[in-house]
Amino acid sequence: MALYIYGIIDSSDRINEPIYGLDGACVYNISYCDIGGVVSELSEQLQNVTKNSVLAHEEVIERLMGHFTVLPVKFDTVFDGRDCVLSMMQSYYRHFKDNLNRLRDKFEFGVKVIWPADKIKKRIRNSHKKNEHEMPIPDGSSNKKFMRKKLEKYRINEEFEKKANKFINVMDIFFSKFAVEKTLKKLKTENLLLDAAYLVEKDRQDDFKEAFEHVKSSQPDFKYLFSGPWPAYNFVILSNKNDLLKDSEQEDLFDRVIQQRELVGVDKIWH
Amino acid sequence: MALNSVVETDFPEEFIEEMEKTDGVLPKKIDANPENVEKGLAKLVLTLIELLRKLLEKQAMRRVEAGSLSEEEIEKVGETLMKLENKMKELKQIFDLEDEELNLNLGPLGDLM
Repeated sequence: MALYIYGIIDSSDRINEPIYGLDGACVYNISYCDIGGVVSELSEQLQNVTKNSVLAHEEVIERLMGHFTVLPVKFDTVFDGRDCVLSMMQSYYRHFKDNLNRLRDKFEFGVKVIWPADKIKKRIRNSHKKNEHEMPIPDGSSNKKFMRKKLEKYRINEEFEKKANKFINVMDIFFSKFAVEKTLKKLKTENLLLDAAYLVEKDRQDDFKEAFEHVKSSQPDFKYLFSGPWPAYNFVILSNKNDLLKDSEQEDLFDRVIQQRELVGVDKIWH
Repeated sequence: MALNSVVETDFPEEFIEEMEKTDGVLPKKIDANPENVEKGLAKLVLTLIELLRKLLEKQAMRRVEAGSLSEEEIEKVGETLMKLENKMKELKQIFDLEDEELNLNLGPLGDLM
């Protein structure tokens, strides 16, 4: 039976609360040592990405986040049975543990900013026209005319980028005060000045939101989109290198897990 | 307990439009079949040529700004870049490719151009 995976969690316990995922199937935890992969059974492969299936995936992760630290897995990730899930978890165990520790009690927030690119370019172009005499290429042959045009375009683009960097740096100062990590994408389109994701500690969410409101009010010509809290989709770092545990390390780890579970009165490791 | 995630904006349509622009350019999967393999290959090759052409152009502009090109050299570079640009236009027409199609998604590194 194919298994659809939603995320990796920092627990090998059963999921007590009933959570339903894609196709209304109940999700459960496949444990490996002290972590787990949360899956549900999939009767047939997803043919089309539908709004409902994406929302079902997201809802499962969000509900899991109410109880565990979660490494969200990309939508439409399917394994060919339990053994494949276990083998993947064995291969990436160390990476998963590192990420789970790093992302504990943290959420992702998204910030997108649209600026009036046309107006800004027009302003730059006008100021360049006034300084046309500073052009280092004399007007002349068609080749020189071509180079003049190219240089003008180059200068406008350079200044446009400089302005974008300046705005982004100022905004980022406010956001970074309350974030522990970030990914910034500058000018994905001419209008989309900033597409950023910030990783924020649980108890700093309100401060982060306040910083956003401050930025928004200080630059009212721009358009803003704020979203979150989300699972840390943009902050899970996995290298492609399989970092398999050696047999002795694996045995040692299982021993430690058993000891810890005995201490807290849980008698079964594997579900 | 859910996270109660929110998406707040006064301009949802404009953000959707901009995000669609970034999504629409690059296919998530390579759609290779006998009918389009030639175009697919041309797209890949032309993307790399376009990248090199843009790099050359940028480097030339930097040198002009720095004043390290003589008038004669500017003339020659201008001719070369103009010919290269015209050739690219021709090839794009032949393979029915638009400017925005000439790009590659490099995964976590983002887009090539």
